Amino acid sequence: MNLRRIFEEHPERRYIMFGGKGGLGKTTFSAATAYWLASQGKKVLVFSVDPQASLSDIFQRDIFGKGPVQIMENLWAQEIDADQHIKAYQEEIRRKILDMYGFDSIPDEIEQYIQAASAEPAMEESAIFDAVVDIVVEGKYDYYIYDLVPLGHALYYLSMAKVYDEWINKITKLREEMREYEEMVARLKRQKETEEDRILSELQYIRGRINASSRILTDKEKTAFFFVIVPEEMILIDTRKAAELFARFDVPISGYVVNRVVPRELLNQNIPPYLRNRIQMQEKYLRQIDEMFGNQVVARVPELERDVTGLEMISRLAGIMYGK
Amino acid sequence: MREFFYGMFSLEFVSHAVEMRTSMENLFMLSTVGDMIGLPIIPPYYSLRLLPYLVPQISLWKRRMLREREFTDEHDYHLEGL
Ligand SMILES: Nc1ncnc2c1ncn2[C@@H]1O[C@H](COP(=O)(O)OP(=O)(O)O)[C@@H](O)[C@H]1O
Ligand SMILES: [Mg+2]
Repeated sequence: MNLRRIFEEHPERRYIMFGGKGGLGKTTFSAATAYWLASQGKKVLVFSVDPQASLSDIFQRDIFGKGPVQIMENLWAQEIDADQHIKAYQEEIRRKILDMYGFDSIPDEIEQYIQAASAEPAMEESAIFDAVVDIVVEGKYDYYIYDLVPLGHALYYLSMAKVYDEWINKITKLREEMREYEEMVARLKRQKETEEDRILSELQYIRGRINASSRILTDKEKTAFFFVIVPEEMILIDTRKAAELFARFDVPISGYVVNRVVPRELLNQNIPPYLRNRIQMQEKYLRQIDEMFGNQVVARVPELERDVTGLEMISRLAGIMYGK
Repeated sequence: MREFFYGMFSLEFVSHAVEMRTSMENLFMLSTVGDMIGLPIIPPYYSLRLLPYLVPQISLWKRRMLREREFTDEHDYHLEGL
């Protein structure tokens, strides 16, 4: 299999993700893929859910918390600022409370709760999760490229959709039962009809959003998930474990991209022994990779002589990965 | 006048239904804003979403839960003392 062919044969796979341990090249490949698709005339959004902004580095522009920023024709990049998102959201909740009850200020007890809930680490994660739903549900772009956080977090992120979904389902059911009792009491007492349960509608809304997101993440038709690996022993062990976990969450894996392969041709030149050694080690692991993943290996990407930053380098890498 | 027409049966039934509704309410509050009394369950982003609708119930519910907790704490204490 070949990376370019996957895109050409599966135009319906619009949600693209590169996963793998930190530092292996997820952001780099996200950017290069976004660049290539955009230059093919597709409208692309590449976005980062990593609190440690990294798209800003590779595109050499400060895009953090600025919404989708246009990088070139057809290409937009976005880095979600979770803090800013949470602040705006808190304000929205306060506003709603003031309006609903005609208060002049938020009661102490409620304000304390808002503060405490926002300080929890889970707040940032669930806020990012929600922001991603916003971005993806809108559906304005031909391609969405998720620049994912390192593997552990990515798994957590994926599993969150399932956990959320189960919880919201339980709570919604409870609420529905409460409502039945309420109606029963009203009927028995011959009171007027109970009014519409707005909490129930909120819960249904929340459920809809969570479902939308987890559906996309695990959609075998629309999602392409690529594992980024390098030819090193530890990475191979970790990747195999991670792939099993992903399979358990039904994440469809489209292939493995091997990064930082030192060009073999260098062996014919006068190179220092450490590099010669490294090439020999890499050959051993590349063979193992082929045995392990077979035709699921979709590309081998060479190690370039310097970091990939700026459009020129991105373009060069895109050329290597996808051809001109 | 209307109250008068309740039979014994439906009176009992109503109070049972009200009771059920209240204990469900407790459970519901616990699973949505439980972190208020130290029991976080629902992801905080979404519990905040529900908060505006729960404002009237919150202080009532919190007092009720704290009262129950105080009671059980005391109870434990006495047991230990035996
Ligand atoms: N094939 C490559 N050749 C040279 N440098 C690379 C290559 N792939 C990645 N890099 C560099 O490695 C560093 C880490 O890559 P990055 O894409 O940020 O990793 P991740 O997003 O997985 O943490 C970056 O400085 C990037 O420019
Ligand atoms: Mg990165």
